[in-house]
Amino acid sequence: MLTNNSFLKREDNVIHLTYKDIVMIKKEMIYRNPLINLGYESEDILPNGGFGAVLAHAGLGKTALLVQVALNAMLREQPVLHVSLNDAVSKVDVWYQELFHDIAAKFDTTEINDYWDKIQPYRFIMTFKVEGFSAPRLEERLTDLMQQNIFKPHTVIIDGFKFDEAGRGQLVQLKELARKYSMRIWFTVHTHRHEPPQENGLPLSFLHVSDLFDVIVQLVAKGDEVYIKSLKGKSIDSGQNDLLLDPATMLIKDRQ
Amino acid sequence: MKIDDQKIRNIGISAHIDSGKTTLTERILYYTKRIHAIHDVKGKDGVGATMDSMELEKERGITIASAATYCEWKGHEINIIDTPGHVDFTIEVERSLRVLDGAILVLCAVGGVQSQSITVDRQMKRYKVPSIAFINKCDRSGANPFRVIGQLKTKLGHNAVAMQIPIGLENEAEGVVDLVGMKALHFDGDNGEIVRETEIPQNILEEAKAKREELIDAASLFSDELTEAILNENEITSELIYAALRKGTLKRELTPVYMGSAYKNKAIQPLLDGVNYLLPCPSEIENVAMDMDKNEELVVLENDSEKPIVALVFKLEDGQYGQLTYIRVYQGTVAKGSTIVNIRNGKKVKVGRVVRMHADQMEDVEALKSGYIGALFGIECSSGDTFTSPGINLTMISMYIPKPVISLAIVPKDNKSQLAMAKALNRFSKEDPTFKTFVDNETADTIIEGMGELHLDIYVERMRREYGADVTIGNPRVAYRETITQRADFNYTHKKQTGGAGQFGRIAGYLEPISDADFIFENKIFGGAIPTQYIPACEKGFKQSMAKGPKLEFPITGVKVVINDGASHAVDSSDMAFQAAARGAFKEAYLRAKPVVHEPIMKVVVETPSEFQGSVMGLLNQRRGMIIGSQDEDVICVIESQVPLAEMFGFSTILRSATQGKAQFTMEFAIYRQVPQSIAEKIALEAAQNKKSAA
Repeated sequence: MLTNNSFLKREDNVIHLTYKDIVMIKKEMIYRNPLINLGYESEDILPNGGFGAVLAHAGLGKTALLVQVALNAMLREQPVLHVSLNDAVSKVDVWYQELFHDIAAKFDTTEINDYWDKIQPYRFIMTFKVEGFSAPRLEERLTDLMQQNIFKPHTVIIDGFKFDEAGRGQLVQLKELARKYSMRIWFTVHTHRHEPPQENGLPLSFLHVSDLFDVIVQLVAKGDEVYIKSLKGKSIDSGQNDLLLDPATMLIKDRQ
Repeated sequence: MKIDDQKIRNIGISAHIDSGKTTLTERILYYTKRIHAIHDVKGKDGVGATMDSMELEKERGITIASAATYCEWKGHEINIIDTPGHVDFTIEVERSLRVLDGAILVLCAVGGVQSQSITVDRQMKRYKVPSIAFINKCDRSGANPFRVIGQLKTKLGHNAVAMQIPIGLENEAEGVVDLVGMKALHFDGDNGEIVRETEIPQNILEEAKAKREELIDAASLFSDELTEAILNENEITSELIYAALRKGTLKRELTPVYMGSAYKNKAIQPLLDGVNYLLPCPSEIENVAMDMDKNEELVVLENDSEKPIVALVFKLEDGQYGQLTYIRVYQGTVAKGSTIVNIRNGKKVKVGRVVRMHADQMEDVEALKSGYIGALFGIECSSGDTFTSPGINLTMISMYIPKPVISLAIVPKDNKSQLAMAKALNRFSKEDPTFKTFVDNETADTIIEGMGELHLDIYVERMRREYGADVTIGNPRVAYRETITQRADFNYTHKKQTGGAGQFGRIAGYLEPISDADFIFENKIFGGAIPTQYIPACEKGFKQSMAKGPKLEFPITGVKVVINDGASHAVDSSDMAFQAAARGAFKEAYLRAKPVVHEPIMKVVVETPSEFQGSVMGLLNQRRGMIIGSQDEDVICVIESQVPLAEMFGFSTILRSATQGKAQFTMEFAIYRQVPQSIAEKIALEAAQNKKSAA
């Protein structure tokens, strides 16, 4: 299932409009990928076993941003496991479909739908109840999938993890899991308005685990606009500016 | 009619299979004195529940056809449509929902919101049917109504609010506390027919108070008067609470939840009170029809019995005395002797007997006023037809009807069976728009088509039992389709000179793929290269070619044909010659347009205990399934997947043996998707073999 990439190959005797479009969609996706635009060279951003976090208050678009990271991986045929502790499978699926169609809006609908059918197998959604989620449980589920060769994730998105309630131990276990299976894990981190940030910009409830993370970015609302700000990782050193996102689609907006 | 419109309720009872809705209906009929004894669905007395009037339904313990029935409760007239719970019969469910004003969503206190409940709920949303919920089987071990209320909120997104709390659960289920009246209700007598009100037991008083607070809180969002009463600490009357709850329910923004046990005769009467208090009467629901004279403009119907008639046929049944036509009257009055017109074919019909149904017994009435559900005798029509008064041309919006995805060849054993089969097929295809039948010209087999294995299975069984048709069935066949993936030009000349008048026609143009239609024909010929009178023949020729692909012989969809050049002969050209030329041209271009085969993909949702999650995923994966995701819910796990229909035959048996019978699944058509190359080759091989054996 996962090795079949023949749909992207060019055959000599056929005019492949679809092929061109796919390349265009990929370019569009990469161009629009907010994190790559923060100055990372590798499209994966995180190393094997690495952790990344997107911090924001409720409703600013943490999930949307990570779904873009996931779509980016799916377009590169890298399997993504999306673990949601808030939403039902169907709702998570809608996130992907909407963002994908937003990005691909300027292309032909039939081809987009076909292409969506082709990349969809690179995504697997798992939902747990917050209280039912743990690293051993996730590993159990992953083993089910991997042993039968159904799915082996390259990137994992964990949406809705309670950092303020979970101890450091949980994250250490997840980190081990990420290393063991050569995965990289992205988390959404819900920050509270009543909690003032520390000097390094991180909320107090996140400080105890921040050293486990390779990349930390924050979404900040200024008026009607949303900015993405790097708190830890490459762009801090490379001196990149904060990026402006379109709050409707969470795609990068050109500064006019 | 003795009852005014405000006191009519047209309701449906929709739910997951086996959540006990037929038992519930049976109890409702008993308490409303429509029946005088209770029989269980799979009862030992062999009589079966009243609503399952078909023999087969009794045997299998499931409800196949939605029998309509009515009863009276505390001065209100309640028309009930008992709807089938299995996904294979969703057209029945959808048809019922179309004519209903409200519904009771029955849920199992143990199983909770299952995948079927989600499908039914989606259908209710589509037809905007306000509903109240009933959590049944509170007497079963593991019953937990509040967990189910939680699931109603999280899984179905309902703003669910408890109207009652249970007095004891499982073996100790005794009754319920009515949170509006703050009374404990007990159900005495042999069949729970005596409702005894007492004070709330001390041990659950605090819980009752807390839940009442929640109920009032939820209700206050819909009523300023109630909010005011709360703020001013005035007395909060039951009327005030019910009025607010009713507003929320009608807007579909609130789902009041009742609970009890139909089997143990607990708390059915309060549910009936709920139907009276909270579900809408016909005039509170807006129904629209399409005006055929004004380009299908939408017209809002008035629930006025004096206005011209608009009525929808939602079900047909073959009874002892001929065809029984169930209708819902939306406007006007359908009376004995009145003349009505079938909008589909323009035929005028005189209404003979008008009856109201109680499962398979009937009661003659003079007329059915707007808002009523009843049945007519001796009227020839199909399900989904609209009847109106002469002179108006309104049609009720047609229901969404999915195309069949599976077919089966049936062969009658003898002449007698042949006749019986023909009669049965004629009836079934009129009753159920998703059931189709035709004769394959090549094999001369009779083919039936439907929405799933079980769907066809039931009809074959009905054919045998009700019509005495002895038939054998072939292997089920998947409804594959072909389509093209790229543009291809054609320039084809059809020429024949075999004595007498010859045949000549040349057609040039191209085929190209389209996604939003099955077939489009466009004529771009300027200057009369093909004379105008032959253009329809060209279109006909192309259309004929779409019926069967040249190689695999599946129907072709998604093709646009453009003709831009051609030639004719003054003597030898004819309609026939151009039809033949079009077929030749299509054949020539089709294979160059890179045809592919598409297959129906089903949405398969499996609910399984978590320990079997791995093996269920394995089963789906082996069947070329794509797993969309898995949802972990304590001990149960729900796996959502998309699986080709071709791989789903016999899945229920395999799933049962892999999960010790603990998993269940639902299946419905999702989309058509291209078949992978290796499978396409296999299909091509099979098609070639079939062709050979047919020859």
